[in-house]
Amino acid sequence: MTNMIEVRDLKKRYGDKQAVDGVSFSVKKGEIFGILGPNGAGKTTTLEMMETLREIDSGTVTIDGIDVAKNPDKIKYLIGVQPQSPTFQDKTKLTEVIEMFAAAYGEKVDPMKFLRDVELEEKASSYVESLSGGQKQRLSITTALVHGPKVFFLDEPTTGLDPQARRHLWELIENVRDRGISVIMTTHYMDEAEVLCDRIAVMDNGKIVAIDTPKNLIKQLLARGFSKEQHVEQANLEDVFIDLTGKRLREEV
Amino acid sequence: MKRSIYTVRTFVRINTKRVFRDPIAIFFSIVFPLIFLFVFGSLNSGSGNISFKVALINESDSSFSKDFTKQLADSSVVKVNQEVTTLDAAKEKMSRSELDAAVVLPADFGSVAPGASNPSGQANVIYTQNNQQSAVALTSVLDAQFTAINSKFVDTTVPFTVTSQQINERSLSAFDYSFAGLLGFSIIGMGIFGPVNVFPELKKMGILRRLSTTPLKVWEYFLANMVGQAFVGLISMTIMFIVALTVFHLEIVGNLFELSIFLVLGIVTILGIGLALGGWAKNERQVAPLANIIVFPMMFLSGTFFPRYLMPEWLQTVSSYLPLTPIIDGIRMILNEGKHFIDILPQLGLIGVWMIVIYFIAFKVFRWE
Repeated sequence: MTNMIEVRDLKKRYGDKQAVDGVSFSVKKGEIFGILGPNGAGKTTTLEMMETLREIDSGTVTIDGIDVAKNPDKIKYLIGVQPQSPTFQDKTKLTEVIEMFAAAYGEKVDPMKFLRDVELEEKASSYVESLSGGQKQRLSITTALVHGPKVFFLDEPTTGLDPQARRHLWELIENVRDRGISVIMTTHYMDEAEVLCDRIAVMDNGKIVAIDTPKNLIKQLLARGFSKEQHVEQANLEDVFIDLTGKRLREEV
Repeated sequence: MKRSIYTVRTFVRINTKRVFRDPIAIFFSIVFPLIFLFVFGSLNSGSGNISFKVALINESDSSFSKDFTKQLADSSVVKVNQEVTTLDAAKEKMSRSELDAAVVLPADFGSVAPGASNPSGQANVIYTQNNQQSAVALTSVLDAQFTAINSKFVDTTVPFTVTSQQINERSLSAFDYSFAGLLGFSIIGMGIFGPVNVFPELKKMGILRRLSTTPLKVWEYFLANMVGQAFVGLISMTIMFIVALTVFHLEIVGNLFELSIFLVLGIVTILGIGLALGGWAKNERQVAPLANIIVFPMMFLSGTFFPRYLMPEWLQTVSSYLPLTPIIDGIRMILNEGKHFIDILPQLGLIGVWMIVIYFIAFKVFRWE
């Protein structure tokens, strides 16, 4: 499989803090790549440099063979960006949000098609301020894809969502991946990374300390002789919650 | 280019719809200027005619005094306050400048003296020291009335007389003059306070940052704002014109088409200041003092509320270079004096220079977050 993204020795300094300190990795076409790490590890800065939002101190990022630092305008057509907490101008209908984002790329699209992709077609004529947190995340995902990008960035997409909304979002992100789009996301939730990500990079202090599939990372840890107290439980509290409040993913009100 | 036109058109269409969905935006772009229009229109509705507010205290019960009282009440020059009937009440009102003077008709006013064939009497004009001018003028007005009355009783020929005749049929009423300033005020309100309030909010919400990940160019975003603002501005000003015409009898001399183009030019120029301030500011607190420093001098020195000819000469020279001054002057020249673009080239030139300077700065200092 070919690499969609190549990051080589990427560095960024803020004042006397080396926020990103020589990060290298590559992302394949059609995989979900997770960046994990504590707050301040440099995840967001790394993402922002790849998204053309931050200037790159040194190192290179190429997306689909195009250098981000040299051709930011071309890169913008290749990437879709989901910000950490998506907001929209109020008094705007959902269809209009999609039209505007498409227009920013000079494209005219059928807004209903994109709303259907994220199961928001019933809300088409509502104003954005009437959406719940999860619905805003879904709208944001579909607006980031209006121009058919090859790479999709998500910054902590499920922070603050309830379990149903999170699972719904995971499904949507997997659908995006299955369309052949490379997904790069940051997250604080290990369960999310384990379920969703094909490969994971763990960052700490501006450096990548490990990079592999979730399974391999766990195997490697066990091979180093790690063990923890074993509790074999048939269900956990999240299963109880989903069971009591509706097993199937349900539409948020 | 075709791509950009589509982008700008879509942004204008949706953002303009948003304005009309938002009661607060409607209030500030349409209702607020109308309130000012009504306040200033009412203040100036005397349309230049001097009138005196007087109390008439009639202590006489002669039929002549009753006729005279009635005649004075019908006069257009003298406005008689009917509520005041005693001298003490009149004095109180005069001390508060609510009345210019009191006219007292003494008890023997209009009675026929023994041996005389005609009624006679002397009216007293009572005034306070800060109303001397009004009192002198009022006295001569009354004097003229008495002369007319006297000539009916006693047939005399007067060797020297004076008459006055009005000639200039196109003179500006006070309202006509202040209307151009009101348009200037509404241009400032929309062009500066609009973006200054909205942009920092959009930055705080990360909306501009999200847009910066798209290929949307700053100039496309600016142009969308200009077209949208000009459109809403013209609607707002059309309503102001309708009110001014129907309620305050505005006299339009110039060509309305030329005026609309000139107004769009004015809106776009002043909007540039708003875009520069709002585009530069990271948050509201940063931009509010700067906006006030720019807006208030312009509001008071460019002839928005007071005519510039009242200022000392040096201040007139300085204020003539402010960006709003040629806009208000130009509006006045087209609207009130019927001038054409060819006559206001100095104003157009100054606006052009400002537009280049303002938008150069606006592009330089703009930041998406």
